[in-house]
Amino acid sequence: MLEIKDVQSFYGEALVLNGVTMNVKPGEVVALLGRNGMGKTTLIRSIMCLAQPQVRAGSIKWNGEELLGLKPHGVAQRKIALVPQGRRLFPSLTVTEHLTMIKPTSVKEGWTAEKIFDMFPRLAERRSHRGNQLSGGERQMLAVGRALMIDPEVVLMDEPSEGLAPVMVQHLETIIAELGKTGLGILLVEQNLYSALAVCDRVYVMETGRIVHEASAAEVRTDHSSLMKYLVVQ
Amino acid sequence: MGGLNLIQLLNGLTFASLLFIVASGFTLIFGLLRIVNLAHGALYLFGGYIGYTVAGSTGNFFLGVLASMLCVALMGLLLDEGLLRFVRGFDLRQVLLTLGVAFVLNDLALVLWGGDTFSVPIPEMLRGATTIGGVFYPKYRIFVLLLGVAVFAALWLMLNRTRLGALIRAGVDDAEMVEAMGINIRRVFLATFMLGASLAGLGGVVGGAFLTLYPTADSEILVFSLAVVIIGGRGSLVGAAVGSLLVGLLNTIGQVMFPELAYFVIFGPMAAILAFRPLGLFGRAV
Repeated sequence: MLEIKDVQSFYGEALVLNGVTMNVKPGEVVALLGRNGMGKTTLIRSIMCLAQPQVRAGSIKWNGEELLGLKPHGVAQRKIALVPQGRRLFPSLTVTEHLTMIKPTSVKEGWTAEKIFDMFPRLAERRSHRGNQLSGGERQMLAVGRALMIDPEVVLMDEPSEGLAPVMVQHLETIIAELGKTGLGILLVEQNLYSALAVCDRVYVMETGRIVHEASAAEVRTDHSSLMKYLVVQ
Repeated sequence: MGGLNLIQLLNGLTFASLLFIVASGFTLIFGLLRIVNLAHGALYLFGGYIGYTVAGSTGNFFLGVLASMLCVALMGLLLDEGLLRFVRGFDLRQVLLTLGVAFVLNDLALVLWGGDTFSVPIPEMLRGATTIGGVFYPKYRIFVLLLGVAVFAALWLMLNRTRLGALIRAGVDDAEMVEAMGINIRRVFLATFMLGASLAGLGGVVGGAFLTLYPTADSEILVFSLAVVIIGGRGSLVGAAVGSLLVGLLNTIGQVMFPELAYFVIFGPMAAILAFRPLGLFGRAV
């Protein structure tokens, strides 16, 4: 279980997260909603212990262990995977290399490149293409596949549907829902409420660096009027 | 003003080959770690002196090469872990620090080996000359030419066909993302730094046998390496190869045809290339 408590994160002297508290349980798909610039990506970066932002208060615990103070590779080694905003594939690596750089092909346990190719046949066709030669949808598939190669227990997905055609968004929703059913915890950052509702169990809404609303997906599906004031640009 | 003949062309190519060996190490470090290691020339010179000493005392050139590469890789380890770690992320401080290290190493070399000119003894089988394309040409320089090709092939295979190579390329693209995938990128950086340094050491021994070793040889090779990497584009192996060929050949053309403008013949075209391709011929924005 991922437990985030009273986290305050700064970019320089600018306070971006002001006391965020939330959690992701095993096998749960949790959506983190909010408009642009509300601190969603900052929270993801704080969990991964990336060099920026600076977390100055609070705690981020993973199965009881404090993550703050670890290096990003230490966080990833604890089976927390990142699907970053904008995909951030490696332009000089082929599709196959994106998957095998983490794990030698000789390892057959957990996720393997072949299993990823089974899940995304489109990627299998493009296996010798480079990261920058793929379409938007293929890029997102590869970003998800790459994250799975560390055999994660929780995946942090930062706006995976951004910039994708509606049919690709649906495909992605199916994948996320299937992954959730395998017992994988997913923290899904989204701007699009409907896209998030299609897959998630629980919803948090973030506004100016704080969690302002928490609800189960079932509650939101019956009535989301209370959420809309946070999500619609006025 | 004389024309260019085959011997001069071969001289240009062998010089290019040496430049490639040195500059490939430089570009690896520059591309991945974003460090302009101005001590690279000093590592070259140290490698040359160490090779000279070991090859001279054991009578085995290849033992000298091995000792030089190992020692200089170790110096790279000390430089990166002992000094550069304190200035990570500060480009200017890194450059100044490596410049300082270059001065220190240079003076140290002067204390240890003195100011005389040395030449690394070459093995028996590479002495003398052989006929190539109808001209007599030193065997050793042909060896240097082939060695450069071999180093290129080995580095290319390492970078493109191994997992370490994939990690290095990914690190050049986006180090933070590699780190977020559970890879300790520091270790990859360190391995790359040591590899790059050991190539400077290799270049020192190999070059020390035909260009000789003397107290300012480090800054000369450094200036050429910088030109190679700037022309080729930082972090690009193919760029370093093409850059080496250009600089090596231009240097020879300059010395033969316009001796009074020898440096201009290299740096003039370099400035022109930068005007149109600011990232070098094979450089990419990161």
